[in-house]
Amino acid sequence: MTITRTPGISRRSTLALMGAGAMTFAAPWVARAQAKTIKIGMPTILSGRVAQLGTSSRNAVMLEVEKANAAGGLAGRQIEMVIRDSKGQPQEAARVARELVNTDGCELLLDGEASSGSFAVHEVARDLGVLCIHTCSEASSLTADPKQHIPNAFRCVRQGIHDSIVGGSYAAAIARAKSLKKWATCSPDYAYGRDTTGEFTLYLKRFAPDVEIISESWPKLFQPDYTEVVTKILQAKAQALYSCLWGGDLTSYIDQANIYAMFGQMEVFAVNMADYTALTVVKNLPKGIHSGNRYIKTFPTTPENAAWGDAYKAKYNEYPTNWSWQNATAVMFLAEAAKKANSADGKKIAEVLKGLTIKCPFGADGTVTMRGDDQTLVGYAIGWGTTIPQEPYVPEIKAGDWKTIFELEAEWKKSKGFT
Amino acid sequence: MTELEAGHAEALAPAQSGAAFQRYRDILFALVAFAVLASLPLFTGSKALLDFVIRCSAYGLFATSLNLLVGYTGLTSFGHGMFFGLGAYSFGLIMQKLAVSIPVAFAATLAITALIAATIGAICVRLKEIYFAFVTLAFQMLIHSTILSWASFTGGDQGLRGGIPRPAFLGIDLSNHVHLYVTSCALLILGLLAMRQIAQSPFGYTLRMIRDNAARASFLGIDVWRAKLTVFVLAALFASMGGMVMALFVSGAYPEFAYWTISGEGIFINMLGGVSTFLGPMVGTVLLLLLNDTVTRLTEYHGIVLGVVILFFALGLRKGLLDFAAEWVSRRRNAGEGR
Repeated sequence: MTITRTPGISRRSTLALMGAGAMTFAAPWVARAQAKTIKIGMPTILSGRVAQLGTSSRNAVMLEVEKANAAGGLAGRQIEMVIRDSKGQPQEAARVARELVNTDGCELLLDGEASSGSFAVHEVARDLGVLCIHTCSEASSLTADPKQHIPNAFRCVRQGIHDSIVGGSYAAAIARAKSLKKWATCSPDYAYGRDTTGEFTLYLKRFAPDVEIISESWPKLFQPDYTEVVTKILQAKAQALYSCLWGGDLTSYIDQANIYAMFGQMEVFAVNMADYTALTVVKNLPKGIHSGNRYIKTFPTTPENAAWGDAYKAKYNEYPTNWSWQNATAVMFLAEAAKKANSADGKKIAEVLKGLTIKCPFGADGTVTMRGDDQTLVGYAIGWGTTIPQEPYVPEIKAGDWKTIFELEAEWKKSKGFT
Repeated sequence: MTELEAGHAEALAPAQSGAAFQRYRDILFALVAFAVLASLPLFTGSKALLDFVIRCSAYGLFATSLNLLVGYTGLTSFGHGMFFGLGAYSFGLIMQKLAVSIPVAFAATLAITALIAATIGAICVRLKEIYFAFVTLAFQMLIHSTILSWASFTGGDQGLRGGIPRPAFLGIDLSNHVHLYVTSCALLILGLLAMRQIAQSPFGYTLRMIRDNAARASFLGIDVWRAKLTVFVLAALFASMGGMVMALFVSGAYPEFAYWTISGEGIFINMLGGVSTFLGPMVGTVLLLLLNDTVTRLTEYHGIVLGVVILFFALGLRKGLLDFAAEWVSRRRNAGEGR
């Protein structure tokens, strides 16, 4: 057989490669040319062990974007969400955030990253000057630390310090009433676990000075076996236990502790229990676990909140998570701010967002506020209650007092050197 | 000079001139590559493309330095990512805590990396194969755990926050995207050129001899431990450079940079690109980042796609892409000569 074609890259292949290259270079201009819609970029975690963070955030955002678009979008521009997976890696979160702005033409960012990823996206926002609303990171320092402050970044998320103040005062009242003096803690061994536990015990002791921490356990994040932790706590003969384990770790822990009948032997305070991701997964949910509210459609006890939870369930066949309400609230803030600014421009929206109060199903009094001085969410429904094994899971929740939260938060900020 | 020595000198002369020619060719190639990369911003306004090249610089330096260990010396390190993380953290911390210029922080980071790499290497290179791999992994986890635990200094699992200051030096302002891009390209090209010189030097050939038969090298009078330790430290320095580029790109440092997954990615890049050719890891880097960026745009099930790609390379090609291409070209050339 005679070979007629010369080896190497053919003319067709060369043209195809050139075409692909031209498409790559042209992408930003093509993206910007389609400016009738406003693109909002969202890096979040859609794969791996905490993929539910991203999927439930995405669901809530899409639910609210549909409503916002039906009401005219952002100052007349229909919203188009561009949501990408960062795999929970900060360098990937930074890359995706930059790509969303620089290549896809996104004019605003919703940062659905947790922990270090949110700080990486924060730096991208600082660098590019794009309006960014953090919607998942509960690390207080993200907005409390003035070194982090940039005028174009806001946080629409509950905070560890708020939960600790409310949890500490709630637990202290029970400790005093039931004379619970010997306490144990069991929290994941990373910054969130150690910080939140430290802050909870700080306020617990402040309101109930007799309390003594007699045992501390720090299981690894995503640890599969908690036997040694459970037996250690039982051997310590603690009267009460505090835990900020969350998600799959919390449900595994409860299932394993049930085998040792732990929940009949002590009062348990698990701040992250009252979230459907945990409540519906535990095999035998013990009665009487004390928990902070994450998301539960019965708190706040308003028809708006219940309707929102039901609408979410009807659309996605599962209940919302804590991340869901936070992301939904962020879209509500954007829609309201754009309306007030009569513009979809990030800078104008940012000016209006500072100190903005909006009606919201998740507000303690039906409203939530984007506090002006540190650009973070306040006034959301926050409280503690006890579990029952079936719906509504946490029938009665005692609401936290925002006046006390503000006072103690100010003290805490001062002690950290933030003010 | 004896007759025998004179004969040796005559035989060495063409070899030396060949090596010099190769060195000049490498330098010329590096200059052309730098000129092409540095002029890219003149032809395109695509920041995404510049970002891509910056990331390629960081990972390329890291992966090629890993190949000095894996491909050239036969030391499969599962913990090379620790030096990537160490570079990012040392540089970030020096810039945040001490008011020094970027070149000083750069040099100090390299000095710190060299010191730590020499200490860790002195223990690790005594071991072989799987034992070496696992002890390097153990050291990586030690460094990762230290970063997580020493939260007051490193920021713990939230990383170095607040951005990395980038004061201008010699007219270079690294907070300017194009300046950062050109600097990253320069570091990449300089790093690759230096590694190429190491690989092609007598020391590089000593490493190959150690890889192929360490006992024989030892019998020939080579201090195997010292050679392995030297290349371990050199590879750590280039990985650290990669970490610094990444720290500048994300304006921070995060514990994930020192986690075992980064080492895993390095191994994967080497598998993709090939370990027998010098530029194999660079090709692997471009391939992996292209795959990652394209696939994550299309689906969140990128793990499946990457898994299939690994299978294709491991079971289909049975070698990295550049190794496969080099072999294919060589086969065609031989076939052509045979006709």
